[in-house]
Amino acid sequence: MVEKSVLKEVLDLATARGGEFADIFIEEKRSTGIGCEAGKIERVHSGVDIGAGIRVISGESTAYAHTNDLSRAGLLEVARIVSHAATGEKKEISLDFKKIKPLVDFQFKDKPGDVSTGRKVELVETADKVARAVNGEKIKQVMVGYGDVVQNVTIANTEGDYVEDERIRTRLMVNAVAASGPLIQTGYEAVGSFCGFELFETYSPDSVAEAAARRAVAMLGAKPAPAGKMPVVMASEAGGTMVHEACGHGLEADLVQKNLSVYAGKKGQVVAAPEITVFDDATIDSRYGSYRFDDEGAPARRVNLIENGVLTDFMYDRLTATKDGRQSNGHGRRESYQHKPIPRMGNTCIAPGKTDPAKIIRETKNGLLVKKMGGGQVNTTTGDFVFEVAEGYLIRDGEIGPMVRGATLTGNGPEVLRVVESVGSDLGFTIGTCGKDGQGIPVSDAQPTMSIKELIVGGTAQGTTSGSIRRI
Amino acid sequence: MEKKDCYLDAAASAVSKAGQLGAQLAEAYISSAKELTIEVRDGQVETMKLAEDRGMGLRVFREGRTGFSFSTDLSPGGVEDATRQALANCGKTAQDPYHHLPPPGPAYPELDIYDPAIRAVTVEKKIEMAKYMEETARACDSRVKIIESSSYQDGEVTVSVVNSHGMKLSYRGAYCGIYLALVAGEGDDSHTGFALDFSLKYNQLKPDLVGQKAARRAVQMLGAAPVATRKAAVVLDPYVATGFLGLIGPALTGEAVQKGRSLFAGKVGTRVASDKVTVIDDGAMPGGIASAPFDGEGVPTSRTVLIEGGVLKGYLYNTYTAAKDGVQSTGNGIRSTFKGTPEVGVTNLFIEAGPISSEDIIKDTKNGLYVTEVMGMHTANPISGDFSVGVAGLLIENGELTRPVRGMAMGGNVVDFLAHVDAAGNDLQFFGGKGAPTIRVAEMTIGGR
Repeated sequence: MVEKSVLKEVLDLATARGGEFADIFIEEKRSTGIGCEAGKIERVHSGVDIGAGIRVISGESTAYAHTNDLSRAGLLEVARIVSHAATGEKKEISLDFKKIKPLVDFQFKDKPGDVSTGRKVELVETADKVARAVNGEKIKQVMVGYGDVVQNVTIANTEGDYVEDERIRTRLMVNAVAASGPLIQTGYEAVGSFCGFELFETYSPDSVAEAAARRAVAMLGAKPAPAGKMPVVMASEAGGTMVHEACGHGLEADLVQKNLSVYAGKKGQVVAAPEITVFDDATIDSRYGSYRFDDEGAPARRVNLIENGVLTDFMYDRLTATKDGRQSNGHGRRESYQHKPIPRMGNTCIAPGKTDPAKIIRETKNGLLVKKMGGGQVNTTTGDFVFEVAEGYLIRDGEIGPMVRGATLTGNGPEVLRVVESVGSDLGFTIGTCGKDGQGIPVSDAQPTMSIKELIVGGTAQGTTSGSIRRI
Repeated sequence: MEKKDCYLDAAASAVSKAGQLGAQLAEAYISSAKELTIEVRDGQVETMKLAEDRGMGLRVFREGRTGFSFSTDLSPGGVEDATRQALANCGKTAQDPYHHLPPPGPAYPELDIYDPAIRAVTVEKKIEMAKYMEETARACDSRVKIIESSSYQDGEVTVSVVNSHGMKLSYRGAYCGIYLALVAGEGDDSHTGFALDFSLKYNQLKPDLVGQKAARRAVQMLGAAPVATRKAAVVLDPYVATGFLGLIGPALTGEAVQKGRSLFAGKVGTRVASDKVTVIDDGAMPGGIASAPFDGEGVPTSRTVLIEGGVLKGYLYNTYTAAKDGVQSTGNGIRSTFKGTPEVGVTNLFIEAGPISSEDIIKDTKNGLYVTEVMGMHTANPISGDFSVGVAGLLIENGELTRPVRGMAMGGNVVDFLAHVDAAGNDLQFFGGKGAPTIRVAEMTIGGR
């Protein structure tokens, strides 16, 4: 997009008044969004967003500026602005760019630009019809959203690293609203991957639509969830919201270094049950949080964060790695050229164990089975987290009982990971947009089926026992 | 030529290009924003960020269909590509007789939304303000151990809207704000606290108050622990009350009502909350951070009473949803970026202040929880109104705040919640565009130990 000679000029000017490091991130993002609601294609949007961000680091301080103007003059102007914030002596910098190779490669089959808008629209219309057909009487509204993004980036820095990369992500989400009398409930299902339109060879739009609609209808018959402490089993298909909130954020190096994480200073210590191994791996094939390079040009790799209960590593970007006198481990990500990179997750997983998932449920006397998780949130300083249960059931005497609605789980990350009782041999993924410091990035997370000794369930019914349980 | 004029020209040329290429109606929206962010920690500038962002969103209409595209490339070539793309997208959407564009408004509110001081004050002064705020917090209590971030932020934006009905509008606005997040610690226990202050006027920012408030929020929570599950009155501080207001905001839009996903559908003229609750949206409110003379499609902004004394009065509308309901747009066609179309949204949305002080509300509560923090509000369901959140705050026993509590869960439905509001304080406070006073809800189940 921009000549290498211009990039050199820009980096040279950015560090003209000092600073140990500078980089430039140039991005061209083409996106398509299709929305269907009330059975009509309401929205076909597309656009292009082009810009560049330039950063200078001097000591612990970062100066960052960005522009939509990629002309030589435009970029030099931004370099001049950031150079003013840098201090210290001008350092000699290597400006002999070398192209960095990734550790993994991903092949894109049906790139969004090669698939007609008509085909994308057709897919959305199909999902809408399938969802409505699940229950013509009770499904009152269906919202289908399709989105694809092609992001081409060029990253260059004063260490001489040079990366060109293409990222393609495609996703489909279906939100169904069911009503019966005064009661309204919703069901949501989404799929997305680091790939093109071939996403729908793996996940049929019909199954996504059906899952959302079935959940909405089933929720109409669900009882309010009980409140209080109880054993909780998380099914693998519930996905990894808990690992994301209970420990993922707390293992991001910036929060650790600022002492804003309960995991700060705990490297080498036991922070979880011995059955627990947690890793983040952006090289997993075509998951929503996969990438070849992070947004600082560092190749993605698997990072083991907790091994058999012992804290082994954190997720680093370049700045936090430098502070700890080490190399980045490929977790410096950003939403766009408008943001500076910070340590972020990719695909965060709890490694599968050995127990048969069905046995885990059987061996739970009474408790809550979580089959689908919604969003979550964490306070990394205390480790307190909360997430919603999008589909939950009571477990009575080792059997799956009635569905419950409105449950939220609250707990404390390190405490919960210590009271994990058994870890299943399966693994299920969910996708999401993770928000931190005002930046949203695509991630996925995964967990095996797990049982946890107890979590606080915040429901609407008081007490831990509900009067009339009907077996289904 | 002034920048403003050059954007109006670019927008006008996009509209005329769209006409030449076959659009029956067209509208170009250009925003050009500049933002400065300074983050200070331990007396050092940690991040200084200068952002420039400009681009165009183009809507076209043909035979009752609409298409949209956006671009950051405002050159004649870029504008032409965007126009062709918008027209191509137009062919794929459903026909709808309510699609149209507003004519220029008869009059626009005159607002004081550009304070030249925000740009005039030097960066050094702004850094000083962030440092001073950090120092104030530390001086306030020795248990303030970590400053997560002490930030100053400001921005200015020029918005231009041109459409094929002869509309040609533009305004310039600016804002500034400070934000402090910190951690207080004592022994093994630590807790976060934050405070913020956003304003249209530079000299109205109060770094000392923000510093003290953030410190107090964190320190008062030290030693917090869960208590037994109970039924108790819940007193929400203005920040938490504002969070709950945010939950009902979407349900008050004409769009949610028309699409069958509003709790308030079909309830105009009926009681939807206790008589203590009045909710207003005012896009022309003096000093309001979300105030502007016109909305994202050039319709004059206005004051809309949504709930008055607990009775639902109406909904918010943009041009499209207003046409569908046969009413006038309330000037709530909101665009958060040039990359999107004007959707019905809130401007300055608030719960009106009541007659009593927050101290008196607490004094008047025998058994309650004063909630200062909510976790997981974004997981609440705005369609069903169900929410289930983690809460922390201070226990109220016989009219007094007795001890800090955390790790509790509170669930319910926002409809019941609104019906049981039995007090609203006189301390209305804004957090950005939304605001609320202290409010009390008569009784809730709070799950704990």
